[in-house]
This record gives sequence, structure tokens and C-alpha cells, in this order.
Amino acid sequence: MKRNNQLEKLPLRPRRISSRDQKIQGIDVIICVILVIYAFLIIFPFWNAFVISISTEEAYLHSNLLIWPSEIDFTAYKMVFNDQGLWSGFKITMILLIFGTAYQLFFTVITGYALSRRKWTGKNFVMNMIIVTMFFGGGMIPYYQLILTLGLNEKIWVMIIPGAIDTFNMLLMRNYFASLPVEMEESAKMDGANDVVIFAKVFLPLSLPMLATVGLFFAVGNWNSWYNAMIFITEKKQYWPLQMVLRSMIAKVSSNIETPEALDTFSQGMTMASIFFTIVPMMSFYPFLQRFFVKGIVVGAIKG
Amino acid sequence: MELVTIAKRNNPFRKFGVNFWKSKYLILMVIPAIIFYAIFSYIPMYGIVMAFKNYSPKLGIIGSPWCENPFENFKKVFDEPKFWLAFKNTLIIGSVKIIISFLGAVTVAVLLNELRMIKTKKTIQTIVTFPHFLSWVVVSGFVFSLFSYYGAVNTVREALGGSRVNFLTGKNFFFGLVFASDIWKEAGWGSIIYLATMAGIPQDQYEAADIDGATRLQKIWHITLPGIKPTAILLLIMSVGGVLSAGFDQILNLGNDLIREDVNIIDTYIYYHAIIGTDSAGVGTAIGLFKSVVSFILVVVVDRIAKACGERGIF
Repeated sequence: MKRNNQLEKLPLRPRRISSRDQKIQGIDVIICVILVIYAFLIIFPFWNAFVISISTEEAYLHSNLLIWPSEIDFTAYKMVFNDQGLWSGFKITMILLIFGTAYQLFFTVITGYALSRRKWTGKNFVMNMIIVTMFFGGGMIPYYQLILTLGLNEKIWVMIIPGAIDTFNMLLMRNYFASLPVEMEESAKMDGANDVVIFAKVFLPLSLPMLATVGLFFAVGNWNSWYNAMIFITEKKQYWPLQMVLRSMIAKVSSNIETPEALDTFSQGMTMASIFFTIVPMMSFYPFLQRFFVKGIVVGAIKG
Repeated sequence: MELVTIAKRNNPFRKFGVNFWKSKYLILMVIPAIIFYAIFSYIPMYGIVMAFKNYSPKLGIIGSPWCENPFENFKKVFDEPKFWLAFKNTLIIGSVKIIISFLGAVTVAVLLNELRMIKTKKTIQTIVTFPHFLSWVVVSGFVFSLFSYYGAVNTVREALGGSRVNFLTGKNFFFGLVFASDIWKEAGWGSIIYLATMAGIPQDQYEAADIDGATRLQKIWHITLPGIKPTAILLLIMSVGGVLSAGFDQILNLGNDLIREDVNIIDTYIYYHAIIGTDSAGVGTAIGLFKSVVSFILVVVVDRIAKACGERGIF
């Protein structure tokens, strides 16, 4: 058995020994330098925002703020942590993150599973019904009118209910279930299990990595959600998620750009501090979760 | 007696009934999907008839009267110069973004693929793919802080002897910011799929090239790039369908009240004019329909061109 495994793994090892073993050439140095500059350009906006968030208004206006502020000041963060709007937004975002993600995952996964099974009555009908929506849609206004007609506007539900199934993630799950050996289903059927039991007891435990990938895509989507709030929640600002609260802060700062002297610069510092409030959770998890996201996009693109 | 059994077995209704009963649990599992797609995708599709009606929310879609001239709403749209400006902006932003995001992703993928230090490669990959997970709200915050009057870019300009410039109020600067921020956010993430494709290129091609004495650049040009060509073409065809979308989130967040009407794309035009503005729902729907139809035609045309050039299309 062990021997067999080794044999299977062999072709996966990099076989480019001839070029891998060569010495580092000039071109390697150039490639490395270009990539490091690129990575620096990605990091710089984060760093710049961080520096602005920990500096005083004085320092921001009068000194060179590129690398490090002349004075360090955490007033912006104190203001952020005392800001009712941001905490309310954080609460709404957490609701979306927990309940929205669970809700989307549930409906997306059961649909993906059903559509991954071989021939059953109605499968093609449902599949075609979904494929059509990938190529054609009603557009923004009919959807807007529909939500108004359903009375979902100005309610927190508008950010959760309509997103039950994401077609891309559903197809991702479907392809994954379809790639698992069908014999498992057949033998479980022979033992008298029905489709729901087979799904819950046999297929679901085997697809945890894919479930994590899809769940993370949903979680990021919910964490970053603002579009539905912007369009449908215009009066009841207590239902705004974090990103929407942040957006209104940024818009306030950027609407003063014509007269830069009149700009309330301290709000710059506070905006940057709020940005960090929003992205730090994601920044701290991303390095560990990156592989799940990468897996999702690679599998999705190859199969889809 | 046997004939009756056979007839019973072959009765299509009975067959359907038996199969239906066999699939009952799977059908149960897709019922929510049928309901959701019917409500949130198919009712809006039916809502397209609003483009030919004088819609009023009180009467509903069915009750609202048809326009006297069926294309009245379309005429209103097409007579509006601001719409054509938005259309032009959409085409420019959408097509330039497709090209630069493609070139950006392929360049990053080739560079990462050629980098031999595995740990450095992993770190750089983590850094450059992260911005994809930021919302455009956050990215617009970064852009404003970097390019504002007192921002870092202006500080550098001043240090180099230039003067401070209002980047955020000029239409020309805006387009540059749109392209630059798009590259910043998506190039790293876009490279992943090309890197995965490159990993699938058979290694013996490189070995053969080594024996023939090929240089690194020659290997990239003659092996790596042809190796990712099918994937690249497939992704390009698919992105053409999104040309007229051009990035609602991005344009909306990067814009500001001063330049908003000059830099509208079709989607932000619909938002500003038909959702928070005074244009009727019929006019907004007409614009949406126009956009869908043009997008669909574009995909079909590009697919045909790709097939004519001997590539695999999507249809």
C-alpha cells in the first residue's frame, strides 16, 4: 500500500531538475526585484492609511507623512471605538456574517447536491432554469421594483433573503459532489438509505474542504456587503452594515475635495482608522485561509 | 394478462409517476431553488415589459398601461446626451479594463512562475492576492487618502519640485485612477488561474527546450504563453459579456459629486437617474434591456470570431 502511494505521487514532483539546479542568474534577480516592488506597491496604501490613522491633524497637514508620523496619536482610534454608528454597523455585519452565511450555505449546498445526482425527474428543467439566469437577467430596475413590491426595502432581510443561492458557488458544489464516487450512493441506497440521508451522512462529511471554500466565499461577501443596503435601506440607518457606515464616512470626506483647505482633516484620520477597523479581521485570517480561496477559484475555473 | 402488464409498464404517465416518486427527495431539495430563482430572477425578467409601459407602482406591472408608442421609453433614453456619454464611458472603461487586467494577470503569473525562491513566492502571492477581498468602499478610501490634496502622491510631487494637484476632481485623472486601482486590486488574484494552468504544462517540453539550449525568455515565449492560450481565450470571451458592466461598485465609490455626471457608466447612470433620480422605472428598465441585448450580441460575436480563428468557444 505504501509503495503504491509513492508510485502515485512520483509524477507530481517537479521534474524540471535541469533548470531548477542551475545557479541563480541575473534574470532571477531582476524578476525578484520586480515582484518585490510590486508587493511594495500593494502594501503601501495600507501603510499610508495606517500612518494617517495614527497621526495628528497638525502632522498630517504640515509634515512628510510617507513613512512615519512626526507625532503618534491614537485619538482617531479612540473616536472609532466610541462611535455608535460603527458599532451598530459591526453588529449588523456580524448578523449578516453568521446567519446570512449559514442560510446561503444551506440552500446552495442542497441545490448543488440534488443537481449533482444522475438522472432524476425534473433535473434538466431545474438546471436549464438556472443556466438561463447566468446569461440573461431583468436588470436593476425590475429587481428594485420587485423588492419594493415585496416590501423588503428598509428591512435587514433585504440583505439576506434574496441571496439564498449563488449560481457560481452552487455549480462549484455540484461539480465537487459529482466528482465523488457514485458507488457510495449506490451502496447506501442498497442499505435502504434515502437521498436526504445519503446526502447528510455520506456526502456532506466528505465535502468539508469544499464546504469551507464556499462558506468562506459567502462570508467574505457578507462582510463586504453594502450594495443592497445602499439601494434599499436609505432611511433606517440603524440597519446599515459596517461597509455602508464606512462608505458614508468616506463620502463625507471626499465631497469636500474641491476646497482642500476647508477639509476637516481629522476626519481623514478617523476614516483611515475606520478602514482598519473594517479590514483587520480579514487581514488577520487571510494568510491562513488563502489556500481555500485559491482552491475554489482553480476548481471553479477548470470545471466551469 | 402479460400484455396488460407490459402496457402498464410502458404507460408514459405511469413511468413518469414512478420516476417522480423515486426522485421525491431530490425534488424536495431543489424546491427552494425553484422558488428563489422564480421570484428573484424570473419575475424581474418578466418586469422587462416595464420598458414598454408607463409604469406606476400603484397599478403594478400588469395593471400599468402600455406606452402609446411602444418605443417611447427608449426614445427618451436615446435622446439624452448624458446617456450617450455614459455609454461611451462604459465602452472605454470596460474594454480598457479587460485588456489591462488580462495583461496584468498574465504578467504577474509569468513572473511568479519564474521565481525560484519558493518561500518568497508564497509570501508575495499572499500579499498580492489579498486586495481582491477588499470591498471597493475600502479601496476608494485608500485612493482618496493617497491622491487627495494633502495625500502621499502630492507630497512626493512637492518633494520632487512639482506642485500639488487635485487628482480627484479631474475627469482624465479619474480614468487613470479607475485603471490603476483595478490593476492594484485584481491583477494578483487574476494571476492564480494562469499559474494553475502553467503548473499543468507538461515539464518535458521545458526539458526538451533545455536540451536545445533555449533561454528563459524563449521558454516563456514558446512554451509558457502558448500553454495558457486556451484558458486566456476562454476567460477573455467570458469577460466580453461584462464589458457593459464595467464595474458599478468601483465607479460609484471612486466618483464624487463634482465629476459624477461626467464619469457615469450605464449602471451608475441607471442608479443616479432612475433609482435616486427622477427618470421613470420604464426608462430605467429600457436602459437595462438595451445593455443586456448589446452584451449578449457582443458575446455571440466574439465567440464566433474565436471559433473562426480555430479556438474553442463557449457555446
